[in-house]
Amino acid sequence: MKLDVRQIEKQFVLHNRGGVRVTGFSDISFNVARGELLALVGPSGAGKSSVLKAIYRTYLVNGGSILFHRQDGTVVDLAVCTESSVLELRQREIGFVTQFLKVLPRISALQAVAAPLLELGEEEDAARRRAAELLAFLNIREELFDISPLTFSGGEQQRVNIARGVIAPKELLLLDEPTASLDEESSSRVLKLLGNLKKQNIAMIGIFHDQRKVDQVADHCYRILREA
Amino acid sequence: MNESVFAFMDEDAKKEIRRTLLKAVAIPGYTVPFASREMPVARGWGTGGLQITLSLLLKRDCIKVIDQGCDGSVNAVNIRDFIASVSGVKQTFSTREATIIQTRHRIPEHKLAEGQILVFQVPYPEVLTTVEPDTEKQKQMHADSDYSKLWVLLYEDTSQFGDSRISNRYPVEVEDHYVMDPSPIPKYDIPRLNNSPALLLFGAGREKRIYAIPPYTKVEPLKFSDRPFKVETFAGKRCGRCGADNVFLDEVRQGTTSLYFCSDTEYCDSILTEQGDVTGNTESE
Amino acid sequence: MLLEIQNLSKVYGVSCGECLDLTGVADDSCICPVCDSVVAMNRVSLSLDGKEVLGIVGESGSGKSTLLQLIYQDQCPDNGRIFYNGFCDRHGVPLNIFEASVSECSVLRNKEMSMIYQNPRMGLNYLFSAGGNIAEKIIGAGERSYEVVRNRVIELMGRLELPTSRVDNYPDTFSGGQQQRIQIAKALSSSPKLLLLDEPTTGLDLSVQAKLLDLIKELQKEMGFAMIIVSHDLGVINHLTDVTMVMKHGCLVEYGLTDQILEDPQQPYTQLLVSSIL
Repeated sequence: MKLDVRQIEKQFVLHNRGGVRVTGFSDISFNVARGELLALVGPSGAGKSSVLKAIYRTYLVNGGSILFHRQDGTVVDLAVCTESSVLELRQREIGFVTQFLKVLPRISALQAVAAPLLELGEEEDAARRRAAELLAFLNIREELFDISPLTFSGGEQQRVNIARGVIAPKELLLLDEPTASLDEESSSRVLKLLGNLKKQNIAMIGIFHDQRKVDQVADHCYRILREA
Repeated sequence: MNESVFAFMDEDAKKEIRRTLLKAVAIPGYTVPFASREMPVARGWGTGGLQITLSLLLKRDCIKVIDQGCDGSVNAVNIRDFIASVSGVKQTFSTREATIIQTRHRIPEHKLAEGQILVFQVPYPEVLTTVEPDTEKQKQMHADSDYSKLWVLLYEDTSQFGDSRISNRYPVEVEDHYVMDPSPIPKYDIPRLNNSPALLLFGAGREKRIYAIPPYTKVEPLKFSDRPFKVETFAGKRCGRCGADNVFLDEVRQGTTSLYFCSDTEYCDSILTEQGDVTGNTESE
Repeated sequence: MLLEIQNLSKVYGVSCGECLDLTGVADDSCICPVCDSVVAMNRVSLSLDGKEVLGIVGESGSGKSTLLQLIYQDQCPDNGRIFYNGFCDRHGVPLNIFEASVSECSVLRNKEMSMIYQNPRMGLNYLFSAGGNIAEKIIGAGERSYEVVRNRVIELMGRLELPTSRVDNYPDTFSGGQQQRIQIAKALSSSPKLLLLDEPTTGLDLSVQAKLLDLIKELQKEMGFAMIIVSHDLGVINHLTDVTMVMKHGCLVEYGLTDQILEDPQQPYTQLLVSSIL
C-alpha cells in the first residue's frame, strides 16, 4: 500500500459571494499500491483535479483522511499533518505533474528538465545529458533545448512538463491529464514512460479522458461522478 | 593666595575626581563621566589633566609637565608653575625623579617605573565619534565590545593605502574589551601603553571624561592579525643635539634642509649630561 | 525547529489592558476603542523549520514589518517569546531572546540572522565603501585576518554579480539594484541561518527585480538558509516561498502552504487578497 484515501470531501466557501458553498467532491475513497497506476476518470467538472490537489495539499479537505505510507514505514495523514512535513514529502516522496507548465521565462527547456536531478545533487553534465535524452525520447527537437519552453506549442510544453516530472521520479506521482493535447505518437511515448515507472515501483494516480489509454496503462480505475 | 586650600581645588571636588579615578582604574579603558570644574585656564588647554593632577597631589610629590615632550614650552611651564604655586610641591624636568608627570601628546623616552603616575591631557576621549555620532549607540557599542565600525576604517585604509592612515590617537584595545582613544600621542608611543609599570590616567576637561589604564595592563593597538603595526621610523636620522637614533624625533625645516631633534628634551639633556657635554639650555631648580 | 514565536504582542501607546481583545480582524481595526493605542502585533504564534521560506503578506500597517523587526530585535514586544534553535542560557535551557542580554543577542544579530531592508539606506553605511560594508559584518562575526576579510568580500561581490573592481567605491555611486545587492552580500557574509527580507525588491524596476529574486532563490538553495520575506506582492511570494502567513490589523489571519493560500484560501480576507491579483 502506498496511498489510502478514505471518504474525503471538499467544499469551497466563497466569502466574497455571500458565503456560497460549492461542492468540489464528496465521499471519495480509493487506494493505490507501489508499482500501480490508478486512473481517475469521469466527466469534466466532477472534481478529478481537485482530488489530486487535495492529495498534494494545495486544497484543504473538509473531511476524511489521506493516509500516505512513507519510505521509512510510517504513515502520515496528508489531510492534517503539518505544513513542514508536507514540504518535506513534496521534496522527497510526492511529485505532481500538472496540466500546465509552470517555469520561469528565464529558464531553458533543458535547465527546466535537469533541475530536479540537480536538486538531488546530481552533477551538472550528467543531469543535462539525462534531460536531453528524455526530451529526445519525447520527440522534442534538439534546437529547442536552449529556448524557454514557455514559447513552445501546447503539446511541446506538456511533454517538457512530463519530462520534468519523471526525470527524478518520486515514489508517488500525481499526473493531471498527462496525455491531453498530445498526438498519438507522443501519447504512446508518454504511456511507455509511465509503464517504465511502474517497473521502478512508483505508485501513480493519473487523470485520463481516453478509455483506450486507461486500458493500456492503468491497473485500476476510479470513476468520479459529477455531484447532482 | 594659596594658603587656604592645598592644590587649588576644594576637598569635595578632589574627592569626586578621586572616586571617578577609582572607577576608571577598576574598569580599564572605560570612560567615566565627571563634573569637570572651572580651572584658571581655558577648557581645551589641559584642564582634564590638571584636575586629575591636582586631586592626586600630595605634599611629598614631585611634578613634571611636558608639552609634546618638551618641559620648556609655554604651556608646560605655565601649568607646572601653577601646580607648584598652589601646592608648593617640588618641580622637576627629570622623568626618573618625577612622581606625577602631566603630559600633552607624548610618553617620555625614559622607561617609567612602578609608583609613577602619567596623566594625559585628552582633547577627544570618545574613540567611536568618527564612526558613530550618536552617544546612545556609542554606549551600546562599548557595552557590546562592538568595534567593527572602527575595524572597517582600518580595513578601508589597508585596502586603499596599504596601512592605517591614523598617525596619532590610534585606537587601542584594553584588556580585550574596551577600545579607547589614547590621546594624540604618536603611534611610536602606543607600544609603551602595554604592560606599563606606571599608572596611566586620562583626563578630558572639556568633554568631562576620565579613564585609566592600571599598571601592567594588556593594551594593544587595533590591527589585523596578518598585518604588522607600523610605528614612525627615523631610519638614517639622528638627533642634531645629542645624536640619539632610537627616539622619537621632531623635524625642523631650515630652508631646503631638515634638522632632527629629540622630541623629549629632558631625554636629550640627560644623554648630553652623560656625555659630559651640556650645551643645551637646561634649567634646574 | 529554527524559530519558535509564541504569543507575540506589541502595542504603541499606553495600553488600557484590553487593547488586544478589542482590536483585530473581527473588529476591523487595530486601534483600541478605549485608549486609542495602536496594536501592531496581536498574539501571533508561529514556527519556522530549518530550510523553510516563509512569506508574510498583508496590507500596509498590518504588522508585517513589525514582526520582522521583533525577530531581529530592532524592537521589543510587550508580550510574548521567541526561541531560536540552539540559543540557550548557561545551563542549556532555551532562552527567550527578549530575556537575553544585549551581548547574548549580538551573536544572533551578527552571526545567526541577517536583515535586508527595503531601502538599502537602512542596511548600508554610506560613509563606508561597498567592500567596507560587507567587511563590517565579517569582522563583527570575529574574523581578524585582513586577507581573509578582503577575499571573502571580493568573493561575495562576485557571487552577487557586482563588479569586484569597484569594491572600494562608495554605495551611492552604485545603481539602486546594485545597492540592494551590496546589502544582500553584506547580509550573507556571515553565512546566516536565517535571512529576513523586508520588501527586498519593491522600488526596483521589473527586470532588475526578477534577476534579484532569481539570485536570492538560487543562493537560498545553495547555502541552505531559512528566509522570512515580507511583501505585498503575491507574485514575489508565489515565486519564492514555501509557506505563507496572511496578516491584518496585527493578527495572523491565515497560515498555510503558499500554493494552498493562493489556490484554496479559507478566510474572507485571504480570499479578497487573492482575488485582487492583477
